[in-house]
Amino acid sequence: MTTTAQTIAIGNVLRADIRGFVIASRIPEPDVPTFGTFVSAPIQQGRAAVIGLVHNISLQDDPFLRNLAVTVTPGDPRSEEIIKDQRENRVIPVEIEVASVGYRLNGRSAYVYGFPPQPPMVLNSITVCDNDAIRKVTASPDFLRTLLDNLDVPTDELIPAALLRAAQLRPKAERRDFLLSAGRYLAHYLGHDPLRLERILTRIDQD
Amino acid sequence: MLQIERIRKDIISLGHQAAQDRQIHRKALVLAQIWLDEAAEADQLRAHVAPLLDDNSADAVRWQGGIPCSPGKINHHRPTEDVPLADLVLIGVDGSQIYPDRQALALYYLLQIGALIFRFDGNAPTVHTREWLRYDKADLYDDRGYLIDGETLGMERMVKEMEVLADLAERERRRATNPIFALSDGPLLWPYVERGNRTSTHFTAYLGALCNVQKAGAIPVGYIDRPGGQPLLDLLWAGQLASEELATRIGENPLKTLSDVELMLEVLAPGAWTPWYTRATATNRRHAEDGQEIWFCYANLGTQRSPAIARIEVPAWAAGQDASMTALQAALRHQGSVLDGYPYVLARAHEEALVTTQDKTALEQAIQRELFSVGILAQPSNKARQKLLLGRK
Repeated sequence: MTTTAQTIAIGNVLRADIRGFVIASRIPEPDVPTFGTFVSAPIQQGRAAVIGLVHNISLQDDPFLRNLAVTVTPGDPRSEEIIKDQRENRVIPVEIEVASVGYRLNGRSAYVYGFPPQPPMVLNSITVCDNDAIRKVTASPDFLRTLLDNLDVPTDELIPAALLRAAQLRPKAERRDFLLSAGRYLAHYLGHDPLRLERILTRIDQD
Repeated sequence: MLQIERIRKDIISLGHQAAQDRQIHRKALVLAQIWLDEAAEADQLRAHVAPLLDDNSADAVRWQGGIPCSPGKINHHRPTEDVPLADLVLIGVDGSQIYPDRQALALYYLLQIGALIFRFDGNAPTVHTREWLRYDKADLYDDRGYLIDGETLGMERMVKEMEVLADLAERERRRATNPIFALSDGPLLWPYVERGNRTSTHFTAYLGALCNVQKAGAIPVGYIDRPGGQPLLDLLWAGQLASEELATRIGENPLKTLSDVELMLEVLAPGAWTPWYTRATATNRRHAEDGQEIWFCYANLGTQRSPAIARIEVPAWAAGQDASMTALQAALRHQGSVLDGYPYVLARAHEEALVTTQDKTALEQAIQRELFSVGILAQPSNKARQKLLLGRK
């Protein structure tokens, strides 16, 4: 699990709406964010920042790599430099999809949960949230609200991933209470759908 | 809307003509193969075409056929030898540009050169890029006050590519004593006609950079994928003429519907190289004055099922180094084997050099921000804005 200590720029907004945005990124493999990563993008001419969760990462079509895949053999000394070039030098064109969970106005410490007033503009830079920001945004389980209502993203997987990531950033003694509080919120919100609730809670418990 | 029915007859006629051309083409190809097999030895051919190249001779014409440089028969092809490539260095370079645009928010042009240093040592190759942003009036306008054209930008790009190769070759030379090949995607022979001061300045700079590659102990190599032209076919035709016919009938080549590549696709085995040739063009003479006369050969970097013919150009001083050329042939064979006959280093250099639409947008935003910070509100022209809107349809 990534425990980002500092902000990392990962790419630019390609398309966006209130519910989320897609980032086009060409970064080396180790820097590609993982499922459930908290990211931030400026909105309203930089007067606020939307916070979201990575819910999908897709490799774009790359004819160059497809060509190499049939001619290069791992383990063959004649392919060694080419494989290393592809892995270490060549940036991977990826699209990263993000679901909005809230936003924060500049100069204020509190987060507002729900959809932002405006989506981030195209080509705005996106950064991975630092640990402090993740702790703050997840201070209230209300950050789960937009996810629970979002039927377009795999929320049953995303919610456990986000909660476990946030729990890891807290002192050991606080983790259980943090997860219990989130569980209670989910039970209240999903009272009408016990099967879904069980699915989410089981995934949290499995970790 | 195009009324296809009105040109139906022409479309049918086009099809008939293509079928007819194909038949003529096939016959010409068979004839070319016979002439190649029957051609005299290289030194005899050289002596035969000499009057065409003698500036002082009354028979001299502007003949630009291939002059054989390697001894022996010209249909002799060299297969790739299985030589070790360990620690050999191949530097590939390519360039791209943003052309100056009067409709843009600011008048500028950009050159970007990308390179890949491939060392055959088991480690990841090294990537290198350099860029030049030009915005001075002296750079943007020619002597007559016109905005510089694509050809002028092409010349500058070719100079920069060779300068980058010279620079990287020199750095590599400090690291090791291994053979270094400096590979550019395109001809090594300066392809521009000399006209005006700017051309001359660029050509001189290019030759200087070429000499610097040599001084760094590296061998410059030009790689031309699917080349045009027919210098070999012109030589074959010259070989068919009697000496006294040369001056009068040299322009009547019955193989002029063909190109050398088409002949090579028939005769050159995968991995094989032809003998070396040169051409007595004014540009090559200028190269020769600086000790950089260019020789060329054809190579097949593909496979039996998918041949890939390229023209390889090297300076005459390098073509004579048999061991180096054997190593280069093996290295290019390796490079072509992973990418359908195209050298991997050049494909990657191109990728690194490419200025994408996204790059261009980011650059223009940065320029716009900078101009705004000094109180200039720059906008693209109305025409450019309209084009952008229509392009989004």
